[in-house]
Amino acid sequence: MTRGRAYLIAGLVALLVIAAAALVFATGSPAAKPAAQQKTLVVLGAENEYANVLAQVGGRYVRAIGIMSNPSTDPHTYEASTTNAREVAQASLVVQNGLGYDSFMQKLEANAPSTRRIILTVASIVGAPPSTENPHLWYRPSTMPAVAQSVAKALSQLEPQHKSYFARRAAAFDRSLGPWRQALAKLRQDFHGAKVVVTEPVADYLLQAAGLDVATPWSFQAAVMNGQDPSPQDVSTVDSLISTRQAKVLVYNLQAVEPTTESLLAIAKAHQVPVVGVNETMPAGFDYQHWMLAETQALTAAIGQHKSEVHLK
Amino acid sequence: MALLTLVRDLLQTPAVATALWIGSIVAVVSGCAGVFTVVRGQSFAGHALGDVGSTGAAAAYLTAVQPLYGFLGIGLLGGLAIDRLGNRARERDVATGIVLSLTMGLSALLLFLITEQTSATGGPLSILFGSIFTVAPAVTLPVELFSLLALGLLAVLYRPLVFASLSPETARARGVRVGLVGTLFMVALVIAVEESSLVAGALLSTALLIGPAAAAVNWTRQIGHTLALSAFLGVAAVVLGIVLSYESYFWPPLHRGWPVSFFIVMLVLVEYIASRLWRRRREATA
Repeated sequence: MTRGRAYLIAGLVALLVIAAAALVFATGSPAAKPAAQQKTLVVLGAENEYANVLAQVGGRYVRAIGIMSNPSTDPHTYEASTTNAREVAQASLVVQNGLGYDSFMQKLEANAPSTRRIILTVASIVGAPPSTENPHLWYRPSTMPAVAQSVAKALSQLEPQHKSYFARRAAAFDRSLGPWRQALAKLRQDFHGAKVVVTEPVADYLLQAAGLDVATPWSFQAAVMNGQDPSPQDVSTVDSLISTRQAKVLVYNLQAVEPTTESLLAIAKAHQVPVVGVNETMPAGFDYQHWMLAETQALTAAIGQHKSEVHLK
Repeated sequence: MALLTLVRDLLQTPAVATALWIGSIVAVVSGCAGVFTVVRGQSFAGHALGDVGSTGAAAAYLTAVQPLYGFLGIGLLGGLAIDRLGNRARERDVATGIVLSLTMGLSALLLFLITEQTSATGGPLSILFGSIFTVAPAVTLPVELFSLLALGLLAVLYRPLVFASLSPETARARGVRVGLVGTLFMVALVIAVEESSLVAGALLSTALLIGPAAAAVNWTRQIGHTLALSAFLGVAAVVLGIVLSYESYFWPPLHRGWPVSFFIVMLVLVEYIASRLWRRRREATA
């Protein structure tokens, strides 16, 4: 009997270890990073949309790394890993969002003190006070041009001999945002004041810039953003906005999925309200300007032609 | 009239109506299973099963399966392991502790992977503290069926279970298969605990299991009455908790609503303290 029991314990332990190992391997480990080259600066974006701007401005003189780069996870609940700690220690320039969105960066930076490293916080670049409720600053059309300017300045400080190169590339980046600005202006002109329902505040700045009316109560958006359950009253309000088709489109955050948001998706489908999926983190195959352009075009198609686009093409 | 309006509001909000129905069923099952848990001295196992089930729920979140099945699946495995490993009362706590720490270790990994690999933002919070308002309507039928199974088990086992719980030695001498009865009761206990994890969360499911039962034990002498009162106290705590949580929409911080599990646990505590005071007065006058 005691021996039987010992086998049982051993079996149980083995089972759990195997299950754990299988999970770790199944989810995959990232490929090994090449060693930093001598000539290039390692620059770090806490989110990969900032890393993308760093790469576009820094060009051939930088190697840009994004910490939050998996578009299927939720940055709000992200926990830093040891790889991230090593990358922060190597970096000469860091761009982070601030407003508590990427508070893990402060811990990583405190753990690897350096006098050489320049840290740019986007919230201070754009002058967003700490009380700002919606941290998704990169959705504001004026944010990235300002970030690009600050990045060019910081890189010139690190490598003064390439100052004009960085300034040229920052200006080129600014120009490349033209098509997005035009698409936003067109959306504003055609559908100003149209009601939209969102699951989460991620794209609110873009929607407001396009003159659309975000009808979801803020308490609902904040609850989903913070991983809490929205109150039943708010859920009813949002449900009826969709089921009475007052909302012209449901803007769905693909990176904050919950039973509540999934049920909104079902209601939208049942009442033929188009759905547009948006990301917190830049999806693969896009750069910043084309990502924003694609989401704006998807919104225009949804409101104008009732087309859903849950995943960007 | 204000009360009538409130009741109409509650029943016309689908999320609340579902919550009230599922919550009441779960409270009945937990209340009944809880009485035997208290009498048999298995409170620790009852608490551990909630935590054990959270491992399953975390795995379910990762693989996009309904959390109820994760809770029940791993809970059942853990419950049977606790039952097999610990035959005597003294071994039982150790066995429970071992199963508990093993699965909680795995749970730590799974909860980390949820934040790392998925977009299920509120996963960890709703597993640990419950989220009755967001329970999918599709879960109603399985909860009803499993609850029927648990109550059916308790009904069939009723006589031998009461006997084996109150005096196991005599029961064994009279030919009751105490071990088998214990294992079958464990199945009912797992269903009760894992279902209430869905309502109040893995960490607080004990409150629904032990609280109403312990209060009912203080208030009654006949086990039949104890069972009925325990189920009633459980349902009262859940229904009132849901109503208060709904009303807390108008309390600060405005429009956020306080969690249901907080209210349920507070109400259960009030019930228990009241039963203790009542019992003290009775003993003083006797």
